[in-house]
Parts: sequence; C-alpha cells; structure tokens
Amino acid sequence: VNVLIIVFTEMRDKLRKWREDNHRNSEQIVDVGEELINEHASKLGDDIWIIYEQVMIAALDCSRDDLAWTCLQELKKQFPGSQRVKRLAGMRLEALEKYEDASKQYDSILQDDPTNTAARKRKISILKAQGKSAEAIRELNEYLEQFVGDQEAWHELSELYINEHDYGKAAFCLEELMMTNPHNHLYCEQYAEVKYTQGGLENLELSRKYFAQALKLNNGNMRALFGLYMSASHIAASPKVNATVKKANVKYAAWATNQINRAYQVTKTNQLPVEELLLRSS
Amino acid sequence: MAPELLLDSNIRLWVVLPIVFITFLVGVIRHYVSILLQSDKKLTLEQVSDSQVLIRSRILRENGKYIPKQSFLMRKFYFNNQEDGFLKNTKRKVVPPSPMTDPSMLTDMMKGNVTNVLPMILIGGWINWTFSGFVTTKVPFPLTLRFKPMLQQGIELLSLDASWVSSASWYFLNVFGLRSMYSLILGQDNGADQSRIMQEQMSGAAIAMPADTNKAFKAEWEALELTDHQWALEGVEEELMSRELDLDGMFSKELPTGIF
Repeated sequence: VNVLIIVFTEMRDKLRKWREDNHRNSEQIVDVGEELINEHASKLGDDIWIIYEQVMIAALDCSRDDLAWTCLQELKKQFPGSQRVKRLAGMRLEALEKYEDASKQYDSILQDDPTNTAARKRKISILKAQGKSAEAIRELNEYLEQFVGDQEAWHELSELYINEHDYGKAAFCLEELMMTNPHNHLYCEQYAEVKYTQGGLENLELSRKYFAQALKLNNGNMRALFGLYMSASHIAASPKVNATVKKANVKYAAWATNQINRAYQVTKTNQLPVEELLLRSS
Repeated sequence: MAPELLLDSNIRLWVVLPIVFITFLVGVIRHYVSILLQSDKKLTLEQVSDSQVLIRSRILRENGKYIPKQSFLMRKFYFNNQEDGFLKNTKRKVVPPSPMTDPSMLTDMMKGNVTNVLPMILIGGWINWTFSGFVTTKVPFPLTLRFKPMLQQGIELLSLDASWVSSASWYFLNVFGLRSMYSLILGQDNGADQSRIMQEQMSGAAIAMPADTNKAFKAEWEALELTDHQWALEGVEEELMSRELDLDGMFSKELPTGIF
C-alpha cells in the first residue's frame, strides 16, 4: 500500500509542476491525470477541481472527448454558473469544430462580464482555426486596443503578422514585448530575425545589433550567433557601405565564426560537414 | 517610586487570559463574516483599459531604451502629440464617488462599520462592565496622570499610578496586538485586521482616487515629455566581443524524455 501512496503523490506533484510551468505535454497529462481521477479521486481533496480543468484541456488536445466530457460534467456540477467552466465548455465545442456554438458560448460570457479576456481570446482563436487570418488580425488589434498590456496577445499578433509577411507590424509587436521583457533574449532574437527578413541596410544593421543583444543576454543562443554572423557578412558584402563599416562587419563576422567553431568543437565529428557547408556559403 | 502592587494570581487566570481568548476568537469570527459579506468589485472595461495604458506609458519611459530610436519616437508621438495624442486628449468623465450619493459605496461602508466598529464597541463595553473595579495589568512604561481616566475606567483611586490599567484597556491592547497573530493564522489580507481597516478608512477616498484618471494621464504626459531616448544597444557589439562566449555545457547532455 505504501508504494501506491508514493506513486499517487508523485503523480499529483508532476501534474502540479506541469500546471505551474505551463507545459503542453497533453498526452502525458491525460495518462497521469486519467489514472489519478479514476483511482485516487477521494485522496485529492479540493485539488481535484483544478486537475479536472488541466486534464480536460489536455484531453481536448488529444481528441479524448469522452474524458473531456466527464471532466466538464464534474466541474459543471460543482461550479454551476461559473464563467471559467463556461469557457471550458466553449473550448470543448471548439475542439469538436462546432465554431458557431462555441462563439455563442463566449458571447454569453462577455455579456455578463465585458472585461473577461479569456473569452475574447478564444473567439480570436476560433477565427484563426477557421483560417480567417485577416479577421483574426483585425479582432486581435481591437482586443489589444483595449488591453494594451496583454503580452500573450502581442506575441500572437506578431506571429499572425509574420504569417502574412507583414514584417513591419510584426516588428512593432515584438518591440512591445522587448520593452516589457528587456531581459528575454528570445524576443530580441525574434526581432532581429524579423528585421533581417525585412532586408535593407538599415534593417540589417538593426538586426545585427539585436542578435548581439540576444547573445549578450544569453551566451548560448546559437541562432543568435548564426544570425550575427549572417547579418554581419551581408552588410560587409553589400556594395553600399564605406570601408570602415565594411571592416567592422568583417571583424564581427570573423569573431562569430570563431565562437561557432568553439561551440561545435565539443560535439562529435559528424557535425563537421554541416559546419563547413555553412561557412563555405558566406 | 510607585508602590509595587501584588495582584491576585486569580486575576491572571480569570481576566487576562479570557480577554485574550475572547479578542482572538472575535477576530477570527469577524474575518469569516467579512468574507461572507464581501461584495464583488466590478471594474469597468474603461478602467481596466486605462490602467493598462498607464502601465504601457510607464514601461515606454523606463525601457524605451531597448527599442530603436525611431520606434520610441513613434510611440512617444502617439501618446503626447499636440493634436491627437492619447494622453493629451483623452478626457474621462470623472465622477468622484462621494459616500453619500453612491449607493454601493454606502453599503460597503455600512458593512465595514457593522463588522468592525460595532463588535469592538459592544465587546469593549461588555468587558468594561464585567471586569470592572479592579486593576488588570501594568504597562511596562510610565504614563502621565492624564491617561488615568482613560485607562482606569472603573477604578476610583486617585493615588494609583497611571501605569496600572483596567481590563478595558487590556482589551484594546489585545485588539491591536493580535494583528500579527491573525496574519500568521489567517494569512495576509484577512478581515480581522482592525488597524489596517481603520487605516483604509482614514486614507478615505483613496480607493476612489483611481477614478481620477485625468490627473494620472496628465502626470504621465509630463513625464513622457521629459524622457529622452538613450539607446542601450549603442556599443553592444563591442561589449559582446570583449570576451569569449561562455559556451559551457552546450551540446553536452541528452535532453530528458519520458514521464518519470
């Protein structure tokens, strides 16, 4: 019996860790959560409600509608009239592709509480799921006008813009994210990549700077290192630059090459051909 | 100088300790009652939106140096422009919610009074009536004579040192003293925290002040006008290349897989 108890606490703690870290490992969550709910429901106490929510979302990801339905029923019984549960019901309708019904569900939440951000964001994801990206972009813009501080939304918008190849606006969104999270190297790197894609001498210079910033924030960001190398070499190769700028950029590119070599020295020799290919293409 | 009075140890057993218990239990009950009577504070969409805009403007001022100069100027222009800058031109209808006219504020005040002030008065009076006529305890520091009528409610001795206090004052001491106990047991932000509530009442319409968004906008506008853009990335390449990258631990371990 002792062994079973140990396993139970381990499962519950794993679920909690995944919940707190916002992991989306839905299959694992479904496996662990289903067993927890079926076998150990009584031992969970009040934790069970949040586990129901976590497992339900994971079940929707894995197309396990039976499991999702049971979780939803339990939550509805315990919290009738809760907006959080209504949102989960809406998500289930979304998973079943009943977008009209889901939309109506979210509208009813918004009628009760116009400040409910979760419902508004779900409506936008419905548009995205239906492939109506232009509408999704428009709705998301309106949402962001009201809720300027929602970082998740800014990131989503930047992704949508990148898909539409509207790099200028994507850069704007990433700038918002960089301001609110100045120490996040990933935003710097993404911004640099967008600027690099936009092209043009000024943007290349900006991208090189932001790749460098990303590297400064995290020395191990290989993408940024490669990006630094590529942007520096492109600027150096461009006919419009003067000699000093060219010299500086050649120096940057050489330094980047050095660092790349150093990084890949620890790996096995079969990495070598790839590395040589990349260096040769400059 | 004052004569050392020796108090009956019964006083300790039957007065001091019961008052502590009573105060504590009443506090706990007050906490749960306040939870039951809590009314939801509904924020309007406009309030939420405005507070976020103010945060964004502040972030722009503080972290604007991480984005390119052009982008910073673009945003500053959006906020502060003469003709249609957001901070300059948005006027919100400010209705200062006075306690008398705003019904929800009124009920909140009533509830606050009922849960906090009323029990204090009632129980204080009851303790005074029950445990009267004798000295309860001595405060460790000397007090002037002016405190005598206040702290020695029921004891008619002119020569008694003001440091000896009656049970009513012991009760009030408890009310404030047990505050830290409440934090320990009920967690922060509990409804039994008397002094915190009185502080809130004293800062009065401080909760109503966020409604004065116009002033907040004006303050942000001024602050933003003064902000300049000092690009943090000026010498970033030189800083980066001044030393070798720290590549320890890269590509050296397998990524973990599996459930457990």
